[in-house]
Amino acid sequence: MAYLSIETISKAYRKNEVIRDLSFEVERGEFLVVFGPSGAGKTVLLRLIAGMVLPDRGRVVLDGADITRDAPDQRDIGMAFQNFALYPHMTAYENIASPLRSRGMARAELDSRVHGAANLLRIDHVISHLPKALSNGQKQRTALARALVGEPSVLLLDDPLRNVDAKVRYEMRLELPRLLRERDTTVIYVTQDYKEAMALGDRIAVLGDGAFTQIGSPEMIYNRPANSRIARLFGDPPINLLDAQREDSNALRIASNSVALPTRTSNSAVSSCVVGIRPEDVAVSLEAVPGAVPVEIDAVTPLNDRQVMLLRADDGTEIFASRPQADQLAQHDGAEQRGRRRAWASLDLDRAHFFDKSSGGRLLEPSPRMAEAAR
Amino acid sequence: MSTLTLSELSKVYPGSNERSVDDVSMAIKDGEIIALLGSSGCGKTSTLRMVAGFESVTSGTIRLGETVINRLKPSERNVAMAFEGYALYPPLKVRDNIAFSLLRGRTAKAEIDKRVNAVSDMLELGPMLEKFPPNLSGGQQQRVSLARALVRDASAYLLDEPMSQLEPQLRALLRARIKDHMTLHRMTTVIVTHDQTEAIALSDRVAVMDNGVLQQFGTPDDLRERPANLFVASFIGEPPMNLYTAEVADSELVVLDERGQPAFRIPCQPGEFAGRRRLSIGIRPHRVHLGDANGADDASGAAAGSAVLRGEVLSNHWLGDHSHAGIGIGGCFLIAVADRHVDARVGSQAVLRIPRGAIHIFDEETGLAVAHGLRS
Repeated sequence: MAYLSIETISKAYRKNEVIRDLSFEVERGEFLVVFGPSGAGKTVLLRLIAGMVLPDRGRVVLDGADITRDAPDQRDIGMAFQNFALYPHMTAYENIASPLRSRGMARAELDSRVHGAANLLRIDHVISHLPKALSNGQKQRTALARALVGEPSVLLLDDPLRNVDAKVRYEMRLELPRLLRERDTTVIYVTQDYKEAMALGDRIAVLGDGAFTQIGSPEMIYNRPANSRIARLFGDPPINLLDAQREDSNALRIASNSVALPTRTSNSAVSSCVVGIRPEDVAVSLEAVPGAVPVEIDAVTPLNDRQVMLLRADDGTEIFASRPQADQLAQHDGAEQRGRRRAWASLDLDRAHFFDKSSGGRLLEPSPRMAEAAR
Repeated sequence: MSTLTLSELSKVYPGSNERSVDDVSMAIKDGEIIALLGSSGCGKTSTLRMVAGFESVTSGTIRLGETVINRLKPSERNVAMAFEGYALYPPLKVRDNIAFSLLRGRTAKAEIDKRVNAVSDMLELGPMLEKFPPNLSGGQQQRVSLARALVRDASAYLLDEPMSQLEPQLRALLRARIKDHMTLHRMTTVIVTHDQTEAIALSDRVAVMDNGVLQQFGTPDDLRERPANLFVASFIGEPPMNLYTAEVADSELVVLDERGQPAFRIPCQPGEFAGRRRLSIGIRPHRVHLGDANGADDASGAAAGSAVLRGEVLSNHWLGDHSHAGIGIGGCFLIAVADRHVDARVGSQAVLRIPRGAIHIFDEETGLAVAHGLRS
């Protein structure tokens, strides 16, 4: 049986159902990321689990016990929010110790717990400093030590890295899962940043309109999105969603061009559909390539050491392509030259997703090589 | 369009004795897109406001083409602006907000319609043209403000945080369309932003500012490969550059962890840093090659002019089109980026190869770059 299970939980505010019949299970020690746009109900969900908000219907079951009506402090659940604020007049040590002091823990045990948490987070050498003497990273780690020191069996984290600088964010992304795994802590972590979701989550639950639209591993969500809406939420630049019509048994018509279908799809029912193809699966050449779509490179917008190109087919269809900076079209061949330029885009339909035109739902299973990664 | 030249430009606000903008000089070419990049309070917005004419110039000159514009009123400068806070006219429809500056001029009605439609198509504002600004979201209002600036014929375009509120799914598309538009129309453009990814994506050159002082003005490649100082090095790039303190020994650099303990060593030429005791060193995550400990990378790496390090894989995050791996080396962390799925298991040993040319050396005290690359 699952460690934490949420059973058909609902919560409405003034008739607006923020969470609707939501059910899911989390295993002990699992890191579950709840991902969704703002207003999707992520924070309300955390508050329901913490007991700060009571559900209209449904149950919260922790380790076999129904805790739906238990007060927040009776639950073995810790919570930390966006503003990981420290008490400015207390040393790092006292900040970390504060949740234990309020429990009246014996001094020797408190001391060993605080030092243990500080060691783990590499702040033992600054533990007697006041917050103002700590770097941003040390502050963040102090706050995290405070959240961990009580050793809750479930930890709820509401977008804790939202307001920190890039260096600290990357350090924490690197350290958080390791620290929590060492303690076998079960984590539910809310974020709006798809990269953070993919980096941290054992599984990602995509929340939309009060209900989960897909739950799965990062590989599953990225390589086998359930619908075109989810596909667009993961990836930067986002996946290309291109209108397609069946031309014959071997080809689709995309951007007024004939694009070859991989054999696995040739007998299937794909007719008129939306083809989802990620920018990294669009290859760009400055010389004509058989079967490629003639395009103009409208703009090159580098993104974190990737070369992102906005391409425009002759019928006006816009297509994003991206490739590592190291493989960029060489400077002398003119891709970096300012202004528009002729090129050819090869769309690898073996790596494409096929979605229903009206519902956006997935039509075909991904190709075996992508399914492999999505397992 | 026009060149835009700032010469020894400074700003001291009344009642302050500090220079919010300190002796900034830069020559922006005709049709060039540049970004003023920095954190809040770095002087980027003050600089832009002086160019726009919203702030007086304490000293120095601003030239648009050959004309000194220091003392001209904002409306006499022929610059188009989009500012944070949007400042749209609430009683006017979106269409009339965008057309406002054209309506005051002598542009024919048909021409105005054509241009308003084109710019609103570009910014995905078509369905909003007949609405009023208060009924739009923050991101939509920001796009209207941008459209109102881009629709004009001006000598220069000044955009203050033009895309900070944009919906994430639209950001990449609009960045590219706007860059295409500005390039096609040869628009001399200054973009103020705190977001280095936006600056790099849009600009021909980026001016990094800190504390009122221009730190470096260069192409995105310059900033990535030849950062002038530690500030620029740590500000540019995502994930940010790995930075450490190192002690100089005879023929190696001893890299220290946060507690000051030796974590790893990088060989250098004897006497390469003679006369220095400590240095800062920087390694961009994208330049670290990750191999497993059993591979043949070790020997070949050294032969190919790379520093070879061994460490433990602490994390390995696949993000779709690239991976971030966190490596522990002694008491130091290092982030490596690969453009593919990496097979390194957490807890396993990894071999890192860092091209010697990709190891940046900075003076520990001044932060100034000493060398981009170790001697081979």
